[in-house]
Amino acid sequence: MSNKKVYIIPCSGIGKVFGSIGRETAYIVVNELAKDKTALECLPLIVKGKKEVIKALKENKVIAIDGCPLKCSYNDLMEAVGKVDAQFLTTDIVKDNRSLKPEPSIIPVGKNTKQLAIKLAEKVVAEVDNLLEENMEMND
Amino acid sequence: MKKKVGIIACSGESLVGGTLSRAAARILVEKLRPNNTIILCQPLFMAGGLERHGGQQERDFVKNHPTITIEGCEEECAKIAVDKYSGKPAATIYIQEIIDLHPELKPKSREDLGEDGMKLAEIIAEEIAKKVDELFRSKK
Repeated sequence: MSNKKVYIIPCSGIGKVFGSIGRETAYIVVNELAKDKTALECLPLIVKGKKEVIKALKENKVIAIDGCPLKCSYNDLMEAVGKVDAQFLTTDIVKDNRSLKPEPSIIPVGKNTKQLAIKLAEKVVAEVDNLLEENMEMND
Repeated sequence: MKKKVGIIACSGESLVGGTLSRAAARILVEKLRPNNTIILCQPLFMAGGLERHGGQQERDFVKNHPTITIEGCEEECAKIAVDKYSGKPAATIYIQEIIDLHPELKPKSREDLGEDGMKLAEIIAEEIAKKVDELFRSKK
C-alpha cells in the first residue's frame, strides 16, 4: 500500500448547513472510514501559506469538499497549492437525497445532516481509494 | 453607531479551538447580539480570485465596518487575513486565553464539543458580546 495520504479539505463555512455537511463528512472520512489513508488540514492555515502544510499537500493527493457554488476550498487550494485532485459539492448529495432534508441547525447538526454526511463520506472514500491506486500505479 | 459589527471566526477544522470559535460565533450572532452582528465567511474572505467568485463583498464589508476576529490557535489566521486585505480588526479574541481561565471546562473533541465545550463556547460568546458593546459605545 502507498504510504501517501489523501488530504481532505472542507470549506469551513459556518453560515449555512451545507458547510456543516462538508465538515461532518471530512470528520467521518478521517476518523472512521479511511482513518489510515487520510488527513485533515485547516483551510485558513493553507490560505495563510503555512510552509510545511503547503509542502505536504503538494506531495500528496488533495480532495476539496465545498458547501456552496463559490467553492472556496477548491479555489483556495488552487491558489495556495496549485492543484486539487478531486472535488465534491455538498449540495449535490442533498439533491441526490431529496427525502433527507438537512435541518438548519449548525451546532449541533441534525440527524438528516449527519445521514447526508455519511452518504457523502462513502463517495469521498471511494475517491480516496482511486487516488491512492493512481499513486501505486505511478510508483510501479 | 448604526453599523453592524463583522465577526470572522477562524473556523479551522483541525483543532478544538476552531470548533469553539465557530460555536461561539454562532451563539453570538443567533442569540446574544443578533441585531448588531453578522458572520463573515472566513474562507470566502480569504479566497483567492475573489473578483471571479463574487466574494469581494466580504472584504469590502470589513473595510467599512468594525470587525472582530476569533482565533482558535496561535496561528492567528483570521487576524492576519483581515490585516492583509481590509485593514486592522477592531478586536481579536484568543480562544486559548479563555480556555486557560476555565480549566474546569474540558471540551470533548474537535468533532463534538460536549457539554463542557458548549459552556465554554457560551462564555467565549459572552466575551465577544462585551467587545461588540464596547465598539458600539465608543462609536456613537
